[in-house]
Amino acid sequence: MPVEVVTGNHAAGYALSVAGEANRTARGAACGIYPITPQTEIVERIAAFPFTKGRVVAVESEHSAMGVSMGASLAGARAFTASSSNGLAYMVENIMTAGFYRLPIVMVAVNRTLGPPWNIWADQSDTLMLRDFPWIQLYCSDNQEVTDTTLLAFRLAEDHRVLLPVLVCMDAFIVSHTQGETDLPEQADVDRYLPDLDLPHRLTHDDPRTLGGLIWPDVTTSLRLETHEAMGRVPAVFEECRSAFQDVFGRDPGGMMDTLEVEDAEEILIASATVATTAAEVVKRARAEGRKVGLVKMRMFRPFPEEALRRACASARRVGVLDRDYAAGLGGVWWQDVRAAFQGHRDDVVIQDYLVGIGGGDVTPGLIEDVLEDLRGRERAGPPVWTGIATEKEVMV
Amino acid sequence: MVEIRIHGRGGQGGVTLAKLIATSRFLQGRSVQAFGLYAAERSGAPVQAFCRFDDEPITNRNLIYEPDHVVVLDPTLVALGITGGLKPGGWILLNTEESPASFAQEFRGHRVATVDATAIARGHGLGTRSVPIVNTALSGAVARILEIPLEEMLAGLAHLGFGGANVASATDAWNAVVTAEILAPPTEPSSDGARTPAPAFRGPSFVSGAGGDLPGIRTGQWASEQPGRQQYVPPCNDVCPAGNDVQGFLHALAEDRVDDGLEILLRTSPFPSVCGRVCPAPCMAECNRIQLDGAVNVRQLERLAGDEGKVELVPAEARPERVAVVGSGPAGLTAAYHLGLYGYGVTVYEAAPQVGGLLRSGIPDFRLPPEVLEREVDRIRSLDVEFITGSPVDRIRLLDLARAHDAVLVATGLQELRGLQLGVGGSDVVMQGIDFLDRVKRNEVTLNGEDVVVVGGGNTAMDAARSALRLGAATVRVVYRRTRTEMPAIEEEIVEALEEGVVIDFLTQPLSLEAEAQADGDGSVHGLRCRRMELGDPDATGRRRPVEIPGSDFDVRCTRVILALGQSPDLSVFPEGTEVREGEALLGLLETPLYAVGDLATNDGTVAAAIGSGRRAAMHIHQTLTGEVVPQGERTRVRSDVDQWNDEVIRSGALRMHLFERHPVDMGESIGMDRRATTFDEIHAGLPDAGEARRCLSCGVCNECDLCVTYCPEGVLKREGHRLVFDYAYCKGCGICVTECPRNVVFMSHL
Repeated sequence: MPVEVVTGNHAAGYALSVAGEANRTARGAACGIYPITPQTEIVERIAAFPFTKGRVVAVESEHSAMGVSMGASLAGARAFTASSSNGLAYMVENIMTAGFYRLPIVMVAVNRTLGPPWNIWADQSDTLMLRDFPWIQLYCSDNQEVTDTTLLAFRLAEDHRVLLPVLVCMDAFIVSHTQGETDLPEQADVDRYLPDLDLPHRLTHDDPRTLGGLIWPDVTTSLRLETHEAMGRVPAVFEECRSAFQDVFGRDPGGMMDTLEVEDAEEILIASATVATTAAEVVKRARAEGRKVGLVKMRMFRPFPEEALRRACASARRVGVLDRDYAAGLGGVWWQDVRAAFQGHRDDVVIQDYLVGIGGGDVTPGLIEDVLEDLRGRERAGPPVWTGIATEKEVMV
Repeated sequence: MVEIRIHGRGGQGGVTLAKLIATSRFLQGRSVQAFGLYAAERSGAPVQAFCRFDDEPITNRNLIYEPDHVVVLDPTLVALGITGGLKPGGWILLNTEESPASFAQEFRGHRVATVDATAIARGHGLGTRSVPIVNTALSGAVARILEIPLEEMLAGLAHLGFGGANVASATDAWNAVVTAEILAPPTEPSSDGARTPAPAFRGPSFVSGAGGDLPGIRTGQWASEQPGRQQYVPPCNDVCPAGNDVQGFLHALAEDRVDDGLEILLRTSPFPSVCGRVCPAPCMAECNRIQLDGAVNVRQLERLAGDEGKVELVPAEARPERVAVVGSGPAGLTAAYHLGLYGYGVTVYEAAPQVGGLLRSGIPDFRLPPEVLEREVDRIRSLDVEFITGSPVDRIRLLDLARAHDAVLVATGLQELRGLQLGVGGSDVVMQGIDFLDRVKRNEVTLNGEDVVVVGGGNTAMDAARSALRLGAATVRVVYRRTRTEMPAIEEEIVEALEEGVVIDFLTQPLSLEAEAQADGDGSVHGLRCRRMELGDPDATGRRRPVEIPGSDFDVRCTRVILALGQSPDLSVFPEGTEVREGEALLGLLETPLYAVGDLATNDGTVAAAIGSGRRAAMHIHQTLTGEVVPQGERTRVRSDVDQWNDEVIRSGALRMHLFERHPVDMGESIGMDRRATTFDEIHAGLPDAGEARRCLSCGVCNECDLCVTYCPEGVLKREGHRLVFDYAYCKGCGICVTECPRNVVFMSHL
């Protein structure tokens, strides 16, 4: 497939489909689909894909969409789906179950503001509410990242050292509906990158049973620890998958996090998704002005790459976290984990939270400049700074 | 980096234009972005799309606030402002037939180009005539002004699968773009660049209501259907020959508003007390309550309203025109009554010594006591109505009346009595029923010990037979050539006649009166030779025709024969050259409008029909004399405050009969059989109260039972006076009000 000008949704739908198709020599592809703005185009593309082996099942709710994908995954199919916002909230029980079942399902989530009141624009609060479930979470900032991360996600999820489902996230409209040049890999390359799924705990007709019967606390604890250990192996396996991706497709799909000008930076911005790439513009400009600022662009949120983050911010005196999300009573979700990562390691760093682009507000370079300006003047962290209430000027709460 | 902002209207293809530009640049190795500003926009709403391209990878992900160029798909958007943030010297490309020079002044400091992409797109059949798709044409124009080779733009089109008309369209536009000289920017310093910080702002509260409204979706907006109130025509109202609002007066009586009930009846009929006694009540035959437990006793309720109600008549302001009414039967009196209410001066000419026509002479006292008639005639007299009795009108006099009045109305009824040749015709033994009843009224008849035979099956036959019994006849037989089913008499009258001892010989045809051996020497005993009949095929009236059975003759002993075979109109009163049209209007050589009404015109034979005819004639006259249109039926079919008016008659199938409770009909009291046999006392005592009216189902007309209000689960239905008010802002359209409405008043309509 040559480079094309497509939307993020198109890219995601394509990547999920060719990944599923790559399992045709094994148990095939499976996807439960249910539409919700702004991801509907993804499941439409999946529904239109001519799978050699497998099944796309249109169901009556997000809960069932994940149910279909779970059942198929347990039967050995390469299973996936897509959802967004309140659809994810409705799916929660099965999202959690897929994690505890250790199923290598990949779900593309288009980050959309949770309602009510209704709002269709970008906000990460929907997937970040799933942060305590056994799912790997990866955040993408453009169509190419969506494509590549989706493919990588299958390889990561299906690795026997991991066996965890993966959420691949992108911003509503800013990526999902924006056309941009995108290299959509050929099926043959995808086939090479994604060998047949081999699910060790796959259900078979030889041994019919259900999973998830009643267990005792000690067994539960043991299973949680097993999950924790699998999560702990994810960063290393991710790097392997990244390297293999480069071998097959000839390009770097990006890391768990990417850094920009952090080596000697005194102020570092930490951001994800499209806010991060817009911030990159600002950081480059500030560097050109001689200011010692840097950027950490986070792709992986779960497991939270604490160590790598501390390393990236080794020179920082102040860290500004840009959260396009809100955890009630706390502030930004990313901010919580950044604080936790530094706690006890680098207590000298000012870690300030900025809530930007909540509910899909446009995050402009100007806004990020204001953030940098604010950060530079801080000797200690304050409560989260709210921005974007009908004006670009921040409002202190 | 080049940034382009596209202004268009939903459906014009602005996003696709952005993608076309982006694709053409992408094919030249640029990094690109194309996106729309998505919201819940509908077709035609102002929308924006954006396109970026650069030699370096683009990482910016915000909207475009300071575009290098602006493309406007719809010239009407110019008024909304399209230059915001546009960089100095940037292009403004407008889709318009006007020249760019005409915009140059407005857009000083910017380069202006125009192209009539609409005409080009139409010319190539792109989109519809009303919504041409202009994006491919504009892509060519964009290429031209940005100095992108046309081939590169066409390559973008081809890459996205656009060919044929789209390529031609883009090419045409590339060639057709006209540009204007750039004018120097305004001398005033532009405020652009100086960023004015907006004051701190807080949006509306979710909980307190402070700061304005959040967009709420009221429950009423969920509805796909909406209830409303409709009205049908109840069958009683539909069938009443007098045009009475039967449901309306019953509703008033049901609420013990007897005066109101009478007032409703008096809108159409001056004779509620009379009709409440003698009307055949077709309303009861059509009553939907028959399907439940028997018709509402409308006749007796009308009598109750007429007898007990008190209403002050309020005639309209007196008018100068005068109308003559010839004949004072129910048709003439009703016409006089309504004309009086309209304010006309009315003179009624009656040949008999007293007014009332057949009401006075033809209906026996036991059915209609004379004082009842008198009371209702007095009510008419209270208007500007003069009665001249003992004053017959013939053809000559009618012409005199026509000259002296503005309208003349003839209501002389049926004066021609049908006879029967019985061989000894003219004999004292045989008399006409109408004459008999008149003489009975005047106490001129005794029938002690006589054997009376009445011929006929109508009300006159029944009245004559029952009067004969009361006058001491030894036997009273009615001979009728068909069966009881075909008898035109009111069913109740037949029942009561049989109760009182009248014998009816059905399927019997009198042939001749034979003199018999005289038992008592006075020569008055005869035998009426009769023949048995059987029913054959239906005749023109739909009734089965009686056919003689040969050899079935037999004699009925009698001392007196009363003929009640019906009557026909005598039209000799009218001048030659006039004709009756449509039963009522009589159009002729006279300038004065002349009308024939009642039985004379309709030959219907019931008081109720005569009332209806008289009223319609009065409305006709009023309309003719004043030009004021009086809609037929408008006064009886009172339109309530409903959302939908149905002219259909509602039948029991359209009612929710299971919601009605059964309740036996109140027949009222009658006097004892001893008094019925010997006196002319009125046999019915009337109803004890108006409770019977509460049996009315109020078919298809709201009677404010308010079950809908009671059962509305949302509490969005309430009664305000006589109005039913739906709060559509909160009504979800569940339809429970419809299923709980027993009478099909509440209905749902799709939104």
